[in-house]
Amino acid sequence: MAELLAPSRAAVQTPAARTGVRRGSGRVVITGASATSAFGPGVEPLMRAVLDGRPGFRTVRRFDVSGRRVDVAAVLPGSPVLGDELARAIDEACDAAGLSVAQRADCPLFLAIHGDPRLARAADSDRSSHGADAFATTVVRRSGLSEQVRTYTSACVAAATGVADAAAMIARGRAARIAVAAGYLVDADQFALFDAGRALAVDGRVRPFSAGRSGLLLGDGVAAVVLEADPGDGVRFKRTPVIGRLAGWGRAGDAYHVCRPRPDGVGLARAVAAALERARVQPDEIGYVNAHGSGTPHSDEAEAAALYRALGEWAAKVPVSSTKSVHGQALEAGGLLELIVTLFALRAGTLPVNAGYLGPDEACRLNLVLEPGTAMGAEYALSVNSAFGGANTALLVGAP
Amino acid sequence: MTGLAVLAEARWPETPDDVAAPSLPGFVVSSFSALAAEVAERCLSRREAVVVSGASGTDRPVTAVVMVSALGDVVSAVHVADAVDSGGRVGPLLFFQSVPNSVAGHVAARWQLTGPVVSVGGMEAGLDIAALLIEDADADEALLIRVEQACDGGADTGDRAEAVLVAEAVLVAEEER
Repeated sequence: MAELLAPSRAAVQTPAARTGVRRGSGRVVITGASATSAFGPGVEPLMRAVLDGRPGFRTVRRFDVSGRRVDVAAVLPGSPVLGDELARAIDEACDAAGLSVAQRADCPLFLAIHGDPRLARAADSDRSSHGADAFATTVVRRSGLSEQVRTYTSACVAAATGVADAAAMIARGRAARIAVAAGYLVDADQFALFDAGRALAVDGRVRPFSAGRSGLLLGDGVAAVVLEADPGDGVRFKRTPVIGRLAGWGRAGDAYHVCRPRPDGVGLARAVAAALERARVQPDEIGYVNAHGSGTPHSDEAEAAALYRALGEWAAKVPVSSTKSVHGQALEAGGLLELIVTLFALRAGTLPVNAGYLGPDEACRLNLVLEPGTAMGAEYALSVNSAFGGANTALLVGAP
Repeated sequence: MTGLAVLAEARWPETPDDVAAPSLPGFVVSSFSALAAEVAERCLSRREAVVVSGASGTDRPVTAVVMVSALGDVVSAVHVADAVDSGGRVGPLLFFQSVPNSVAGHVAARWQLTGPVVSVGGMEAGLDIAALLIEDADADEALLIRVEQACDGGADTGDRAEAVLVAEAVLVAEEER
């Protein structure tokens, strides 16, 4: 790959001492969104569930779970097809953004997926045609988007990383508009892997930051958003109301372990700090944190430490919930599903509930949202995610 | 956009002795993660000592890890699918190695690479992401690791891997001005 890089007369520039992250000067807004979850197609049923704190876990009938330790997940009925659901979600998000056929045709797609669902069972001779980018190309052809596709396979931060990269490009004027989509539908292979890894909650409930939490549960999630440059004159968006602003974004690594989060939360805290710095927002301006909150003992503890490290004592006051307690862990799609929840909660002025709570855990001293109907009046909300490999992301959204 | 210069690079295979990648403790069944770790090790061992004031505020540069693979760990994926379809046992170690991030985490921990960890399906995206992360000061440099396993069963389709460490480049002429 080196031959693709800089000219031979290039030299390495030693960076000067830095005070922090940078960004382009452009404002980034979200003009269209769509989601499908265990509660059915659409953002509205998802929001009703997370605002009520009503979990969607049920016995999996999509494939055989009789040999597994756990047999539940937050799943849609039947066996939806990922390509179909993605095409529908992208179509709805583009419609919501009011994009014309020509605007769609010029719009790149960043797609967060585990991979082509058919890869592992393709014939030996056919496997190389089932790459992630090839799958994304089939999706954009159905959606009428540009074939400038990019796929993110970074596990639970895949979607949020795609959003951050899209925002960075738009802010720097490298793109006027980018669609970001993500999809995971609970499948037999990942279910078997998570079951074998003893990661699934044996009591059939996800209890983020709670005493007695025992693990995560998988969930269906397919989502799409349209990110656009905001010229700031209000003219362009007469065609559609802006859902919200992507005010800041950050990503950072733990450099700690293959799959365990760094206990002191330094990596996630750096991601949050980068998002705040890019948005020029102070911690106490954040009115809600949609946490990664997988419901696994060590992960939640590390995340609480990260929030204290990044937000200071505001971490004890800011309302926090993990909506994975309701819609489950949608893996590569989780970050986008949760970004949409965060955006629409900000619009609704009501906080999503941290369901499954049994009692306090001293290692997770957070102001959890435990009751439906709690009002939120702030201008900003934060969505954070962490993944295997010590990958961390933070997305800060602002009211339109 | 920021131009990138190569600080170090490595490949698999590089010599006729590169027949099987050294095993990587904790990773089983597949060569994917072992190959990624091996080319990363070679690449980072070859870099010249560079003192930079990194984004972390220390002398150590902040390095992003960008994994690139069209198919991911296809050998592990096929192994798991076979086990599921036949009612066989799925080993617990396969749980975390099913995503390319995991070996990126191994490399990051081994070399204290504290920048963002990203996995993508294509090299063009990987290079663009590396350049933007550096331009926006999320990282001082980026380690790109690309692994493509032989999966079609044909001749001359052996496993291939490469790693390249990149940083921001300026033209010599400009630097001398």
